[in-house]
Amino acid sequence: MKRTNSRKMSLKILWALVACFLIGGSQPAAAKVKVVATIADLGSLVQVVGGDDVEVTVLCPGEMDPHFLPAKPSLARKLGRADMLVYNGMELEVGWLPLLIRKARNPAIRPGAAGEVDCSEAVTARLEVPTGHLDRGEGDVHPEGNPHYTLDPRQAVLVAHHLARRLGEIDVDNAASYKQRAATFAQDVEERTVSWRAETAVVAEMPVIIYHRTWAYLVDFLQLDVMGEIEHRPGISPSPRHVQKLIEEGRQRENLLVISATWDHHHVSAEVAERSGGQTVVLPAQAGAGGGAQGYLEHIDGICRDLAAAGKARP
Amino acid sequence: MKFSHRLSAGLLLLAFLLPGWAIAQGGTSSTATGISRLMNPAISLNTLLLGQTSRDIDTREANQFNLQEMEIQFSSVVDPFWNADLIVAVHPEHAEEEEGEEAHGSHYALDIEKAILEYKGMPRGFGLRVGKDYLNFGKQIPLHTHNFAFVTAPIGISAFVGEHGLTETGAELAWNAPLPWWAEVTVYATSATAEIFDDSSRDLAYGGRLSNLWDTSSASTLEFGLSALTGPGAAHEMDEPMGRWNMYGADLTWKWVSGATTGGPAITFTNEILLPDPEHKEGDPLGFYSHLQYRFGRQWWLGLGGSVARDAEPGHEHEDEHEGEEEHGLRTIRQLKANITLAASEFSAVRVGVHYDREQDGDFEDLGAYVQFNFTIGSHPAHAY
Repeated sequence: MKRTNSRKMSLKILWALVACFLIGGSQPAAAKVKVVATIADLGSLVQVVGGDDVEVTVLCPGEMDPHFLPAKPSLARKLGRADMLVYNGMELEVGWLPLLIRKARNPAIRPGAAGEVDCSEAVTARLEVPTGHLDRGEGDVHPEGNPHYTLDPRQAVLVAHHLARRLGEIDVDNAASYKQRAATFAQDVEERTVSWRAETAVVAEMPVIIYHRTWAYLVDFLQLDVMGEIEHRPGISPSPRHVQKLIEEGRQRENLLVISATWDHHHVSAEVAERSGGQTVVLPAQAGAGGGAQGYLEHIDGICRDLAAAGKARP
Repeated sequence: MKFSHRLSAGLLLLAFLLPGWAIAQGGTSSTATGISRLMNPAISLNTLLLGQTSRDIDTREANQFNLQEMEIQFSSVVDPFWNADLIVAVHPEHAEEEEGEEAHGSHYALDIEKAILEYKGMPRGFGLRVGKDYLNFGKQIPLHTHNFAFVTAPIGISAFVGEHGLTETGAELAWNAPLPWWAEVTVYATSATAEIFDDSSRDLAYGGRLSNLWDTSSASTLEFGLSALTGPGAAHEMDEPMGRWNMYGADLTWKWVSGATTGGPAITFTNEILLPDPEHKEGDPLGFYSHLQYRFGRQWWLGLGGSVARDAEPGHEHEDEHEGEEEHGLRTIRQLKANITLAASEFSAVRVGVHYDREQDGDFEDLGAYVQFNFTIGSHPAHAY
């Protein structure tokens, strides 16, 4: 009899352990909203809007080109525990995010769920949206337009408001806080925009060559004069003929500035600049890239500072 | 494949392709036709063209330029409950598929490699798939041909499961174990129609896989997997007909991708061992391969590989039928491979390579070279890590 009771007790303990193991793995966070952002800029914006009410994880670190993040299952594990997925959209993450969502097996962040947030829905002025003929002969063109909108602080403000609204929907108690933080961020951007434009005014007078169309929104924001792209077909290595053509065109202009991202192939940028008599500047295209600032406003500060320094150092 | 089969295959292919073409061409609004093209699945086509030559094998199959395989893929959300993926593959018929006829390059066979429904309503951490697909066993067997590290599967795998892997129809349940690292447990029950099984048996095949992955640094991962499969043994391969046939496997993969530069250096080092049940009492069959892939330029990859297969000598089933004849033992074939790939974009690649196969203590030896063209058109989903 005693032995039977002992056996029953052992079984109860075993079942309790199994239950703890299973439930423990799927228990949602009680206090903070667990947000996974695909790219560093969006992670920074979520942090700005969410403050202490969110716990932010970024899948693609700032120093990596977000077009080509390896879809590591360990990233799916992070997604599996998320209450919200915040992504750039416009097919920036098309090479890896669908795989991770599938692998994560998390109903909270699947397409259509309350925790799935496509930030491109907030973008009002999409650039380079193809209107005519489109095929892959033109390279890695995004059918919904250039997806690098986070480099335009005006669009970042719209994204912040969008995030505040969506966070407020799944965390109603803190909805007012999210809204307030987004409004404060908008005010900060408005104030800094004056100094950003003043600081980079010298660059706006220089002809600019960009490596990839990463910079389209920044160029639009700062009103820079782009005369060409090294990667004339996005995602495809530039041909020697195209590089030579750029060099010859660059020689016709004075004070040429070649802008590339930390992950671009700098030897090509350097060659174009050197043989055209211009100079190069390497900028962080995402927050935290190249050892730069993690915060969004400080990230844009850093870009403007580097551009201004390049402008002042022109030959 | 008989003519009627070929005709059926052709009609099936046309049935898939024509409606999409007709809708794409039509200018009539969906209100009038009742069909909206917005609901069309993502469609892609991948084609492999392979030219090869052999020093020691003089068959047409080993010395020709031919279509190696063409895959047509459809992917879509079905409804609020299911996603669906379908892959139809076309490849040249092999000699054995022509029922004794001589292989002919202009005849093609059609396979349904994948017809999968994935249920979207599973609780957090669980996944359920129903349909036909490659069995989730090890690293190589689930791969589609255009995703191989070399133009053909390593001999350590193909000697046991064939060049086209194992596709079966059934159900698969997966679970992301809540551990401090990525750990996925998969179990499945499927039909047992592949050659390695006794297709006259009503028994099912059962299998499982445990996959673990650790981030060894911000740029590298280590993956370790264990796989097991059991099914009705093919009568001619078993000492006791209708018994169970088992296969076990383990794999270890280290990957490193430099994040500093787009398309920067990357290394994938894959090792896999296969331990099938012996077809005869003597010896332990074994398959093994080791692949090293290195991206040394934005568009350039170098591949090196070695593989070993210790399996029953071919023709043993015929010999065994003769009473009193001595059973054949095991033979060992070693394979070395090297290739270089130029991937101008994500959608096209040219690969050239060589391979050397040699039977240990035997007559078989083969030195071959090949060139492969690989291109994808349409909306093709990204490949798994």
